[in-house]
Amino acid sequence: MAQAFPYTYYACDCYDSNNTSSTKRASQLLQEADEDERTFDPRSPRANYSLYPLEHLLYCEDCQQIRCPRCIIEETLNWYCPSCLFEVPSSVVKSDGNRCTRSCFSCPLCTSPMQTFSLDMAGDVAPPFILECQYCRWSTLDIGIEFDKGQGIAAQLARIGNGGKHIPTNKEREKERERRKEIEGRKSRDLLSPSIESTNTDPDREEGPPSHDDLFSNLTAFYKSQVDAQTPSNPFSSHDINFSSPSAYSRIMNLYSTTGSKKNKRNKPSAMREAASSLEGLTIYDPANDAAAIERIKKEGWGVTLSPAQKHAQIDPNVRFVDELRPLATLLCTKRSKRCRSCRQILTKPESKITSTRYKIKLLALNHIPRLSIRALNATPPIPVASRTTDTLHYNALNPGMPSHFLLHLSNPLFDPIKVTLATPSTTPGRVQSRVTILCPQFDVGANTDIWDDTLSSSLLPIKRGSITDQAPQIEAGKIWDRGRNWTSVAVEIVPGFTDAVGSGVPDELEEDEDVLEIAIFVRIEYETDAGADERGPGDSRGGKGEKERREEAFWTVVGVGRIKG
Amino acid sequence: MSRPIAKKAAAKGEYIETDSGNKVSRRSAITGTANITLGGRTVIMADVVLRGDLHSTRPTASSSGKEGTPTSISIGKCTVVSTGTVLKPPCRMSRGAPNFYPMKIGDNVFIVVGPNCVISAIAISSHVHIGANVTIHPFAVIKENVKILPNTVVPGAMVIASGSVVGGRPARIVGEVGEGWGVSGGGAGGGLGVGGGSEEKWVEGGDLRELVRSIR
Ligand SMILES: [Zn+2]
Ligand SMILES: [Zn+2]
Ligand SMILES: [Zn+2]
Ligand SMILES: [Zn+2]
Repeated sequence: MAQAFPYTYYACDCYDSNNTSSTKRASQLLQEADEDERTFDPRSPRANYSLYPLEHLLYCEDCQQIRCPRCIIEETLNWYCPSCLFEVPSSVVKSDGNRCTRSCFSCPLCTSPMQTFSLDMAGDVAPPFILECQYCRWSTLDIGIEFDKGQGIAAQLARIGNGGKHIPTNKEREKERERRKEIEGRKSRDLLSPSIESTNTDPDREEGPPSHDDLFSNLTAFYKSQVDAQTPSNPFSSHDINFSSPSAYSRIMNLYSTTGSKKNKRNKPSAMREAASSLEGLTIYDPANDAAAIERIKKEGWGVTLSPAQKHAQIDPNVRFVDELRPLATLLCTKRSKRCRSCRQILTKPESKITSTRYKIKLLALNHIPRLSIRALNATPPIPVASRTTDTLHYNALNPGMPSHFLLHLSNPLFDPIKVTLATPSTTPGRVQSRVTILCPQFDVGANTDIWDDTLSSSLLPIKRGSITDQAPQIEAGKIWDRGRNWTSVAVEIVPGFTDAVGSGVPDELEEDEDVLEIAIFVRIEYETDAGADERGPGDSRGGKGEKERREEAFWTVVGVGRIKG
Repeated sequence: MSRPIAKKAAAKGEYIETDSGNKVSRRSAITGTANITLGGRTVIMADVVLRGDLHSTRPTASSSGKEGTPTSISIGKCTVVSTGTVLKPPCRMSRGAPNFYPMKIGDNVFIVVGPNCVISAIAISSHVHIGANVTIHPFAVIKENVKILPNTVVPGAMVIASGSVVGGRPARIVGEVGEGWGVSGGGAGGGLGVGGGSEEKWVEGGDLRELVRSIR
């Protein structure tokens, strides 16, 4: 997702550890980083899979580590339709699929939700009803479908084919199969009759090729009958055969095993055969279908065909033309709880009620690791919205070769003061090399104490320089820029690289987003906290006189500063 | 809840501040003020159009029993409607006559939208962030904790489930906001840079009090 400059992403280190269960401590990590002299490259293709905004990261208190979507396990609590907000029991999801079975549909052309309308001329809510898209005005009238009732559209639609044709139910299909089998049986008995004649009178021909659903039902019926035939003296229930179940597998293995008992030898089973006719679900490729499709495109143009996305969204994979489209039942959503992948600790658990947005458990990274942000030093003080346009212009056109100053701002969510060490490669990786210097890489950040302390002591705050006083801001190496209750800011000097130094000097040769100035910053924090006080609160840190425990935390961040002017 | 007409005689500034702390720009275009309620500490910026005059014309069988002024737009607390946005209650033809339905917007909603973009949702819940140049067609329902990306067109009657990020024309769900949506963390209350890497004191979907305070 494209984000406006400036932004900060946090790297979860699970991206390069093969074993997520390794509980490396921050100090070890740091050591390794020192030894390897490895720096995080925001341009590497793998970085895409480890960088997240802080809001998306969770924190495992047991492992004392950031947890990203890659190193958590999700558990579905419940399923619901996002449109009508009805909960769907998981048993129904298993039997009927992951779509709304009420009246929620989206447009097969543009994906917008469809609404039920009455076509009654008098303005009453009376039949016939249709589904219509409010965005592109596609409606079920385009495929010749009207409904008798305004409710239960899904059930009605399941019985109406395009053009108003009746779609047989499973029972009707079964009857039809029986009928045809009889006809075929009669034909095969009369072997001597000319075959051409019999194919001409075949009702199958008149109706065109069987539909996808017909074939599927024929095929499942055929395989069921095959399995039933193979296991006549089956002690298990024969009606629910699950090919993936171990019992069914062992049954099949028994059929083929040579060391069968005498019983098995007596009625030696014939091998299972494959479908051999369309009644059994076999489709024979018919070039006439393709020829007809090509002929149609020649006549009516590309307009009648579907885009890949539209075709992909359809249930029937063989759909090609707009008149074959079906409204799409809305996909269900889930509510999920999340666990740490290595220690199985629950990290988030929402309330199970569909309408509730609250959480029973929510362990967020932003309550455990400092928030790092960057802004241009000379940017106008943050007057919201109004200054927005000028600011974005600024960040989108950094002057190459011009040293410019930025402020790195670090705020501490912990109830203990922290010692921070920042590190960054002096030049950014890649072809557009920008020089980066953090003027004060080591500093302290105050504890996140009660908010009232801040207002009381705000007048006594140390070193307050910059935009508030009239003094011209002074940037000194080794000194912080500004500080507040639980935050500290330091200056960074950045010399954006030249984009036209790339290649032969033609800016066109820049790859996508190669002119984006991103800085990888390694953040290491160190603090002392009450041992065992996992549920840290403002009261705990003050009142607790127990053992102090030293803790460390280290992680990579990527700060998106802006785009370099071409 | 107070009607925005209760104005304080204040110094000539950009905003008129009401008793409950609503800030309404002098340059906003509000019609039918009697039909609009603002929850307090809500900001209506310049050139915002609030069509309070488009209220239900049906005989109101109001729940409170009193035959009073129908509400056409109600906005909650700490909600910011930025410059140029048009809020127009949704309309449906009923027996040949247009009938308007009241629009309800929750708390801490930031409508960035901008000039000439019309919002006609029937309901927008709390902690919603609506990006620049977004158009919302009539009767859309936006649930809590939703982010609408810039330049999105939300089609009519779309229900956006809570926790979704939507974008595109027409809007479709492109992601989830993440558990940390709207949580400013311990960083709130001091200094800059609470926002997701930017310099603001507030986060998208979070408490907008700081933002409201800074607007004057
Ligand atoms: Zn991870
Ligand atoms: Zn539904
Ligand atoms: Zn459509
Ligand atoms: Zn864990």
